[in-house]
Amino acid sequence: MRKHIFIILLFIVSISVEAQETEMSPSEIKTFRAQITEVSENTKSITADFIQYKHLDFLTSDIETSGNMAFKAPNWVKWEYTDPYVYSVIFKEDQLLINDGGTKSNIKMGSSKLFKKLNNLIINSVTGDMFDDESFEVSYYSTPDYNKVIFVSTDKKLAKMIAVFELQFDKNDGAVLEVKMIEPSQDYTRIVFSNRVVNSKISDAVFTN
Amino acid sequence: MRYLLISILFLIQTSCALQMTKDWKRSEPTKEYVENSYFSELTADYVYKAKITVYGHKFGGILIVKKLVEEEHRVVFTTEFGNKLFDFSYQKNTFKKNFIVEDLDKKMIVNTLQKDFKLLISEKIMVEEQYDLEHEIVLKTCDDKRSNFYFINKKTHTLDKIVNTSKSKQKVEVLYKEVEGGMANNIWINHQNINLQIELKKFAKK
Repeated sequence: MRKHIFIILLFIVSISVEAQETEMSPSEIKTFRAQITEVSENTKSITADFIQYKHLDFLTSDIETSGNMAFKAPNWVKWEYTDPYVYSVIFKEDQLLINDGGTKSNIKMGSSKLFKKLNNLIINSVTGDMFDDESFEVSYYSTPDYNKVIFVSTDKKLAKMIAVFELQFDKNDGAVLEVKMIEPSQDYTRIVFSNRVVNSKISDAVFTN
Repeated sequence: MRYLLISILFLIQTSCALQMTKDWKRSEPTKEYVENSYFSELTADYVYKAKITVYGHKFGGILIVKKLVEEEHRVVFTTEFGNKLFDFSYQKNTFKKNFIVEDLDKKMIVNTLQKDFKLLISEKIMVEEQYDLEHEIVLKTCDDKRSNFYFINKKTHTLDKIVNTSKSKQKVEVLYKEVEGGMANNIWINHQNINLQIELKKFAKK
């Protein structure tokens, strides 16, 4: 009897998991990608707050840092941590402008391909438009609450650092809700966005160090 | 001629000797072991914002230290975005490199980092000699071919500084600042033979 209850329970659990996340059909993928491309093309600017959770399996709790980000089309991004420390990085053309609690520095990305790749990913993940990147195998899922896209790194160098990217999208407006970067060790970084404002006017001065 | 030889020998000897301890007064060791408990709590996740200056280049990151069981620590360094730069395991006297980004995977860099963090997490070390200074008791320990000098504040009884030396020169200095409740909120690691400084600031409690 107990065995039967167990099997029934297992069945119910597996159904509910299935129901939560289903793989999109080719036509759903087409519609979804069109939505993201349209949103991305119409996005001139974004500001948002974020909380970043760094999960390391051996730690008692995730490391939490938070701040805000600003994006201005076509590809300027400012990423600013305000808690528990002040640190900002501006991705602008071929440069990184860093302000580490008052210590400013510039890094030219010129030589490091991997560095460039990582930075492009950060920029593209803000708008979610990274489907055409050839260094990933992409799969699409939907749940009642959000759409989810899984990018598996096929670039060997990148895969050593980040094996999988997971992006969660708002079903209605196609906004990126969450980015998860999973390492080969299964440790991950999860970034959750909130208070997102699209197409407000952002001064160029925001993107200077 | 003989005097010349003797004076040259004398000069060599004194210049080779460690300048730091020159005027120090040695005393009988009062303790068998020196204890460094700044990374010794099993329940604590030690998380620090790091600023590193190496030959004028500055970069930042997050240092995470966790004591897993007795005599076993994990030391991980990530960028602010959370990407791992290196991940080391220390178990008793063995060291394991779980991960390091290709650009940092050079023997000299790994050795330096490994030794620096080993110095931070080593908890109980046999005392070889003891010195009695005006404000500190200094305990000398043996570290392979080098020595470590632990400076214990006489007033507060806290560990304020560790100096790592070869037979004749100071190599690394670790300074513990803003110590409260057994935690060091600020740690500075200064290398004297290479141009490398690491400044660690503990994450504020939420």
